[in-house]
Order: sequence, then C-alpha cells, then structure tokens
Amino acid sequence: MDRHQIETVVLAVLASMLKREVDLNTSRDNTPQWDSLKHIEIIFAVEDELHIEFSEEEMATLDSVANIVDLAITSHAT
Amino acid sequence: MRHDLSLAGPAFRLRPITDADAPLVLELRGDPKRSRYLHAISRSLDDQLAWFTRYYERPGDYYFVIERQESGAAEGLISIYDVDPQAECGEWGRWSLRPGSLAAVESAWLIYRCSFEQLGLKRVFSRTVAENVSVVSFHDSCGITAKRLLPGHFDLGGKRADAVEHEVTREMWIVLNPRLQKLAELTAPRVRRG
Repeated sequence: MDRHQIETVVLAVLASMLKREVDLNTSRDNTPQWDSLKHIEIIFAVEDELHIEFSEEEMATLDSVANIVDLAITSHAT
Repeated sequence: MRHDLSLAGPAFRLRPITDADAPLVLELRGDPKRSRYLHAISRSLDDQLAWFTRYYERPGDYYFVIERQESGAAEGLISIYDVDPQAECGEWGRWSLRPGSLAAVESAWLIYRCSFEQLGLKRVFSRTVAENVSVVSFHDSCGITAKRLLPGHFDLGGKRADAVEHEVTREMWIVLNPRLQKLAELTAPRVRRG
C-alpha cells in the first residue's frame, strides 16, 4: 500500500469511530472526542484494516493522524 | 481509609495505596498541566503523608495504586470515596495515569467491578470538570447515558467550575461491563509484551 492508500484507510477509521469529519491535521490535542477508550478502538481498527500491529510503546505515540500514517508506512515496509 | 481490597484484571491490578506511594502521588498529581482539572495538592512529601494519615481514618474512602501485573510497576492512581453504606452509592475519581498509559479502560473497569462486586454498591458516579472534554468523552464512550451538569460544582484554585456527572447503576453495569472487559482483554497482550 502506498501513503495515499494508508491515509485513506486511517482517515476512514477515524471518521467512523469519532463520528465526525477528520483530516490529516486531526490529533488528540485538537479532538477531545478522541479519548482513551476511542484511542484503543481506533488503533485496533487501523491494525485490522492494514494487517499490522503496533507495540505498546508505539501506541503511546499515535496521537495524531500524521503519526499513525507515518508509523503504519514504516510497519508496512518492514 | 485503611483497607485490604485488591482487584486484578488481565494486565493491571488495583492495590491499596500506602505511605510508600507518596512520591508517586506527588509525581502524578504534582504536574500542573496534567492535574489542572483535579484539586490541587501540596508538593510537599510531609504534607502528602499527613494527608494519608487523615485518609487512613476516613471511612468510605478507598484509594488505590494501579500497577502492572507482571512487573508491579505503578501506572497510576484511582479511588472510590464518599461511599455511603445506607444509600449504597459512592463516587470514583482521583484518577491519574502516566502519560501514554494503556491502563485507562482497564482501571475504569476495575474500579466499577470493585464498586459493584466488592463493595456491593447499587450506583456509582463520577464527576468531571466540564472543560475536561476528553475525560467527559471517555465516560460517554463507556456507554454511560445517565449524565447531568452540576453548575459551579468544583472549586479549582478559588474558581468555580461546572461538573459533568455520569452515573452507573448496577443494572446499567450489567450492560456496560462486557464491552469494557473485552477492550481490557484485547489490550492486555500488548501491555504484557511491552
């Protein structure tokens, strides 16, 4: 999958989970509805869609669409 | 109050807080940014130990350390207090976790289990500063629909702040429990692997 495809998947998951419009600038800082419970559900859904698995340490850093996309690309490449 | 309640989930457990945990309280509650929606505490170790002394004597107050099952490393703090044996209700709070912690869902699940299964309460509520939207959202995301606004409920550094109260009854807990349990179980392998 290329970056655009991964971005599309991540944005679709977040929009579905948060029930609101999201874009590449969406982060936990500017989206308080992205709470600790939703965060777990979002990460598991992204993992399922992209067939990857983040570590606990990585999950703590996935606080924005950009960070999720970047780490997903890295995970796909390894 | 001094208590011996403990409760374990798939990755974390709750154990009674002790004097040895005073530095942990100062670390987690002393950060003004992360604790801006909690009652301010003194940054003095002696003051915290004096607070513990009063807490040990206060009935209906159960303060816990959230720690990892495998290593015993402290992950956060959580309490249920103002437990009223006659009304069979209590409030949970003093909730503080290390940044990036995955213990949020499991620790909330454990405090509800403690409330309903160990203390035998009929209803439990949490009160969150209304401006703390992400924590209000967390309670909403748990599926709690019984909520109301308490205008000016909190006194934060001399300023009144509205609270959002979420209430869970034993009947509602039967509905909410499976989803929180499932999320805690799905998260646990990740925590155990580190």
